[in-house]
Amino acid sequence: MTTVINANVSSQKSWFKWVRDNLFSSVAGTIQTFAFAALVVVVLRWLLGVAFAEKNDWTAVATNMRLLVSYNYPLSQFIRIWVAAGVLLVCAAASLGAWRFDPALTVKRMARTFYSVAVVAALCALLMPSSAPGVLVRTLWLVSTVLAIAGFAASAVASKRNNLTVSFGALLTSSVVGLLAILWFVPFGNYGVVGGSPFANPGDTVARSTKEPWTVIFTLVLFTFWASRALGTKTVAIVRSALLAFWLVGPAFLIFVVLRDPAFDWQRVWAVDVPLAAGFAFGGGLLVYLLAKPTRSSLARLVGVALSAFAILNWVAGFFGWYGMLQKVRISMLLLAILVLILPAFAGSQSKRLRIAVAWGGFILVLHWLITAINTPSTLVISAPPFLGGFTLTFAISYYVVLASFPLGVLLALARTSDLPLFRMMSTAYIEVFRGVPLITILFLFTVMLPLFLPRGMAVSDLAAVFAGYSIFSAAYLAENVRGGLQSVRQGQYEAANALGLTVFQRTLLIVLPQGLRVSIPNLVGQGIATLKETSLIAIIGGFDLLRIANSTIPNQPQFLGQKRPGLLFIAMVYFILAYTMSKSSQRLERRLDAGRM
Amino acid sequence: MSSTKPNDNTGQSPRRNMITCRGVKKWFGDFQALKGVDLDVGEQEVVVVLGPSGSGKSTLIRCINRLEVHQEGIIEVDGVELTNDLRNIEKIRSEVGMVFQLFNLFPHLSVLDNITLGPIWVRKKARVEAEKTAMELLERVGIPEQAAKFPGQLSGGQQQRVAIARALAMEPKIMLFDEPTSALDPEMIAEVLDVMRDLARRGMTMVIVTHEMGFAREVADRLVFMESGEIVEVGTTEQFFSAPREERTKKFLSQIL
Repeated sequence: MTTVINANVSSQKSWFKWVRDNLFSSVAGTIQTFAFAALVVVVLRWLLGVAFAEKNDWTAVATNMRLLVSYNYPLSQFIRIWVAAGVLLVCAAASLGAWRFDPALTVKRMARTFYSVAVVAALCALLMPSSAPGVLVRTLWLVSTVLAIAGFAASAVASKRNNLTVSFGALLTSSVVGLLAILWFVPFGNYGVVGGSPFANPGDTVARSTKEPWTVIFTLVLFTFWASRALGTKTVAIVRSALLAFWLVGPAFLIFVVLRDPAFDWQRVWAVDVPLAAGFAFGGGLLVYLLAKPTRSSLARLVGVALSAFAILNWVAGFFGWYGMLQKVRISMLLLAILVLILPAFAGSQSKRLRIAVAWGGFILVLHWLITAINTPSTLVISAPPFLGGFTLTFAISYYVVLASFPLGVLLALARTSDLPLFRMMSTAYIEVFRGVPLITILFLFTVMLPLFLPRGMAVSDLAAVFAGYSIFSAAYLAENVRGGLQSVRQGQYEAANALGLTVFQRTLLIVLPQGLRVSIPNLVGQGIATLKETSLIAIIGGFDLLRIANSTIPNQPQFLGQKRPGLLFIAMVYFILAYTMSKSSQRLERRLDAGRM
Repeated sequence: MSSTKPNDNTGQSPRRNMITCRGVKKWFGDFQALKGVDLDVGEQEVVVVLGPSGSGKSTLIRCINRLEVHQEGIIEVDGVELTNDLRNIEKIRSEVGMVFQLFNLFPHLSVLDNITLGPIWVRKKARVEAEKTAMELLERVGIPEQAAKFPGQLSGGQQQRVAIARALAMEPKIMLFDEPTSALDPEMIAEVLDVMRDLARRGMTMVIVTHEMGFAREVADRLVFMESGEIVEVGTTEQFFSAPREERTKKFLSQIL
């Protein structure tokens, strides 16, 4: 017992010492501390005053939650958004488990976090304006007290066993259980609009249509996390490659899950799209396999020339309208012709030929999938009547833009630093052109002008146009960030890789990129955060993203006329949480990659 | 120039030639770094290249695995001439191990991964097998306990020993050393030289650029003295140190011994 008391005294002493050394070490320091504290109090008081002023009606946000999350997405189809979100979260949990994600989280640090949140909550409760709802102030005091007690308990435990850590699994489990408990038992009130006027059942928790899917998803998340963690070394390798495959191609499927037209023409897909893809994948693969034999290189050249002539003829015919043909047939034909033309350079052993054929087949399948997905008329048309909007739209656009612009940006950066002048020039031109044009111009260009240039019979949905334009724009910035990292890789690394006999491709993939990308992480994450925030520009071309809903949709509802502030403050918080999460995880990634390295 | 004809009465071994250089010339812009170098290195021979800084020693051995491209002359490695054919170069590089002055380990890979990288990706070995070999090599250079660490956590001498192990993992026919101890603190030089000595004993063909005279005298079969881009004198170790023929060699030796 005495040891505990002693430990507490000493920890209190050290706490006291920290305050003295860091906050009140000198006269100037003391003045600074008080000035800063005063500033914090003033700013916080002002913010709370703005947020909870008398005229602000926060039910405007609570009632419009569905609008803010997914806009007009039909209720009957909501299951698709749940499925997409669920698959993403479950796969994320499985990845965390499969890669044995377990940062050392000390109880000491947890105590510190508890204390600081408790202080902030107490401060907020103290500085609340009188117009704030009483229940909120009481809740803040409650949270503050509970966290202070938890912090005290944690630091008492930590002082006994100094390096006690909490496993990530325990943390995840307790957070998920806590979240579910909040979802089911905390009386947020159940908001809605009935007969044109808003109502709230203050005693209720959130709607069942929300908490039931979350319960299912969270349960699955926990289950997959622990299951993937318990896997043996052999199975985990398979699961890891499956997960990698999912992260590579899964998103393309998920967007389709969300955006597919309810009246989607499956018949056409089975009658036209699938046979075409299969034909090109297997037929082309077979052709490539047969022609890649070194003894058949002259035949390969002949076939290549013939195919190219035919492929070019198709494009010319399409231009003059001689005969109709699906655009993807033209594209695939041209690609196949190019591959066959350069095939003699890759000719080799049987296993090598098989690899080339399989690579071609896989490439064609993915390409056809993407073309079908992009070309399928979805119910999403960004000009009225909007279908998808709000957080889902913001998240989807930023997620896919980051996903698509990353490989493109890395390729551009590699091209710009390559020894081949043609690559360098092309990449430089691309980067300079797209960096020199404002994003909003590109978005207009792609949604308004692009359809005019497309051949007849080919349509691009507005979302696909935004997505493509934004990715192309973002890739130009990303390329410059990556280039900075690539240039930091020292010459000796190239020489060492060369001296081992690595090919240029292996050298780039195994030596240069890992080192270069690590250096560019802060910039890349900055770019990602910028991408997230700039999605609000799609409001200008007619999209209903978070900002537009908060700034013009909600204030124009008859029940909430002019209620801008709550919505804007709410979405500011959403953006902040997303950006802060990204920034925090990038810091963690940096620390992890930095451990023990030069 | 006429006085600098190499290979005359140089104790040229009857062994098979692993490296053959004929009239190798190399310019960096206007500066001529190699002015027509002729050199033969036989199988299992240890050749030490000496010379003042800027004499072209490093350039010469960097030409041998084409980290630098020579503009004139012929270099043959194990009977294959170095040309611009990429596959040819990659093949030769995988047969020629290189150890650098500044180690050039890959900082983002663990010691073990540094060593297994080449065998796995170039030699297409199975990982398990490559790791087994890597551990044997670490054993041989005396630091098996550092396998899981990253290069940044190792001392200079340990890093250079890892670099040697990395080169050996490719089972090279020839090892090139470009001032392997010049960036090391004095107390770490010995541990690296021990490893190299062991290699020489095992019959590895080696070309070494170094300033360690005692070491050169001990392990070298032949010594090559270079100055301003040309070979001044080639001789057996004994003849080179006791009875150098060229005036410039004598001057150099008197300065550093």
